[in-house]
Amino acid sequence: MLKITALILICLSALTVAAQNVPPAVSSQPQTPIKSVELVGLAGVKENSGGTLTVGGGKLLFVHSKSTSGIAATAMEDVVTGNDSQRVVRGTLGALSMFGPYGSGRVLSLFRSKLDSITIQYRDADGGLHGVVFTVPVGKADWLKQELIAQGARTSIPTQAEASAGSSQSATTGEKQ
Amino acid sequence: MRGFFKAATALCLFAVTFSSAPFLHAQGNAKSNAPSKIRASAIRVEMIRSDEIKLPAEFQVALYENLIQQLEKKGRSVSWHVYRDGDRNAANRTDLVVLRSTVRGFKQGSEEKRQVTTVAGATSITVHCQFIDNQGKVLLERDINGKVRFFGANLKATYDFAKKAATFAHQNLAATDGT
Repeated sequence: MLKITALILICLSALTVAAQNVPPAVSSQPQTPIKSVELVGLAGVKENSGGTLTVGGGKLLFVHSKSTSGIAATAMEDVVTGNDSQRVVRGTLGALSMFGPYGSGRVLSLFRSKLDSITIQYRDADGGLHGVVFTVPVGKADWLKQELIAQGARTSIPTQAEASAGSSQSATTGEKQ
Repeated sequence: MRGFFKAATALCLFAVTFSSAPFLHAQGNAKSNAPSKIRASAIRVEMIRSDEIKLPAEFQVALYENLIQQLEKKGRSVSWHVYRDGDRNAANRTDLVVLRSTVRGFKQGSEEKRQVTTVAGATSITVHCQFIDNQGKVLLERDINGKVRFFGANLKATYDFAKKAATFAHQNLAATDGT
């Protein structure tokens, strides 16, 4: 009886260890480009350049004006998401609207669209630290972060899914104890 | 009557010359007593620290990247080399100065408030900048402020800080041909 219990316990612990070592599942969905704006940091790209972001082949690719810049996911030391908002009427029209009569430009500033930001810190071949900030549509930053983590990027702030997984794991271990 | 005006003008000129002489003398002394520039061939910029103040990641990265961009821009005229945090090539350089920046104050304003009210919602960042030599001795230090008051996104405050910090470095560092 004791032997069987010990055997079951060994099997259970082996299964737990194996479950922890399984790499996070990479979604097999086709990579759809995400519209984004590079705010600062990407080498060779002008600030506030619009483009599209895709994750594929272990890289984050930013495609803009016929050229592509890439960052290897494994070189990423920290991926952090945030949120912000921007004026709905932007650009030249937005600037001109500020001179509208009776404060109409100011009223237009109240109409805002939400957006997410994703901040990435990565190292180059010489070990130099770089940082880059992108803005993406709402809800895309967390998805992008999860994709990058699945491809080997690291983060100082775990995603919501990871955090909930971690908490459920600790709860089960607590129950076992 | 004409003589009176001549005399009055001469008296005014004499008074102005006499009163400004001490100020000019003091300015001359200040120039001669100005501290000599720190000689450096390269600057290594460390990542912005914010141990005491909670700073959003995008501000931290924007401060660092803008600082490097502005130092490179200013360094073109004096041929500095700007290295990033952790760059292995910086280890071989003599006359290397490390720029360590620590956030001392941060007030995140609101772009919306600025656009609607003009006067409210300013964003400001205060960063303590230290220029440190190879032995870890602090050569120069100062609090530098970055602000956005009226127009632009919150991150524009980081650009303002970077410009001021690069100007401060340009004023106090002299390039050498060290390798």
